[in-house]
Amino acid sequence: MPESLIAIIDALPYLLQGSLVTIAVVAGALSFGLLVGVPLAIGQVYGGGLLRRFVGVYVWFFRGIPLLVFLFLFYFGLCTALGINLSAFTVAIIVLGLISSAYQSQIIRGAIQSLPEGQLKAARALGMSDLKAISFIIVPQALRLSIPGFSNEYSILLKDSAVTYALGVAEIMARAHFVATRTYQHFPLYFAAGIIFMILTWLGVKGLRLLEDKVRIPGYSHN
Amino acid sequence: MTAPILRIENLSKRYGQREVLKGVSLEVDKGDLKILIGPSGAGKSTFLHCINYLVKPDEGRVWLHDREIHPERKRELYAYRQKVGMIFQDFNLFDHINAFENVRIGLVKVKGIGKEEAGERARLELERVGLKEHIHKYPAQLSGGQKQRVSIARALAMDPEVMLLDEPTSALDPELIGEVHAVIRDLGNNGMTMIMATHQIGFASSLASEIIFMENGLIVERGTPDKIFNDAEHSRTREFCSKITDLYGER
Repeated sequence: MPESLIAIIDALPYLLQGSLVTIAVVAGALSFGLLVGVPLAIGQVYGGGLLRRFVGVYVWFFRGIPLLVFLFLFYFGLCTALGINLSAFTVAIIVLGLISSAYQSQIIRGAIQSLPEGQLKAARALGMSDLKAISFIIVPQALRLSIPGFSNEYSILLKDSAVTYALGVAEIMARAHFVATRTYQHFPLYFAAGIIFMILTWLGVKGLRLLEDKVRIPGYSHN
Repeated sequence: MTAPILRIENLSKRYGQREVLKGVSLEVDKGDLKILIGPSGAGKSTFLHCINYLVKPDEGRVWLHDREIHPERKRELYAYRQKVGMIFQDFNLFDHINAFENVRIGLVKVKGIGKEEAGERARLELERVGLKEHIHKYPAQLSGGQKQRVSIARALAMDPEVMLLDEPTSALDPELIGEVHAVIRDLGNNGMTMIMATHQIGFASSLASEIIFMENGLIVERGTPDKIFNDAEHSRTREFCSKITDLYGER
């Protein structure tokens, strides 16, 4: 067996453990992003001038700073300055989540704005408050329409999560780097890391596709 | 006479420079069926939307049973809207839930009725509009006429005292208009108070207690169907009625 293959096989359990860390970071950040992104989108579409401006600045801010800068700023800068002790793992989720919330808010905003105006009108006509109309009528439809966008966001976030190795999060990239520098098997290790990322991308996108089919509204089809 | 169910005074609405509604007043008694006719852009739809404050009028007041509506008091506004059912030209069914849930959702989420009891009521209302077989279909699986009947059932489930119908059949294929008209006729026969904008002259004249001809944001003329269609005072009314009779056939 070639040496490179042996290097991959030897490192595989270690790398796969890292993929669990990657999955945890991505799942955490996506959920965080969704939880914050939905209210942001609602605020931007239905809110008053001040709220809309706030969301605009928020999105600008978190889409404007490079991930690595933000990670360092938060972990080495903010946490030290405020004297809070957060693990690199937690910081990775918060930072990726904040950035993702900005992107997700725009996915969801697009979905909300693509809904016919009559949906909200009809809900109001029944006597629903705006909060109820948005929660029961608008959001369930907007989230369905957002799934293709989420699929994009997931793929990007998954790969961005590799950057968190710079903080020492023991995800796939960090582990590949660690083994590679120790064994000098750079090519096989990074190759394996790349393949694992590709498989994770495929799995996630596939999963979202299944979800999309599962929650598709009967009667709507483009086939 | 007792007090009118609905009293509308001097509703006005402008969009920028354009005055869409120039102070329209109307009193509606129990069991009335007021029919609004007039060319598009006359303000019929805006008028209906202003009555339940889906469009915020610039001026004007509305009373339900002598109680003035203050739209800035949200709770009162929501309670008022439950009493005033609205039927839209393009149905506006909630697309992500089926017919049954469309009718039930207001009962559950607005009136706070338990799911089971609300479900019973929803089933009853859907049966009443002849959709027993279709209650589990989603809006995209229903024909236009069926959608509009679901939307009527949805409004009726809230026990409205007045119904506002904004051209309920103008988005429908001609052969589907009849089924919706039958439901509305039934409502009228059961004493439902309604204000309806429509171009269906034949239907209007057979059912209306009063025809109201609007143009340029104003009421031009009003009267019994017989008067408006056969003996109108204003030339514009006569002109419009003859044009629309040509278009929509014999009355």
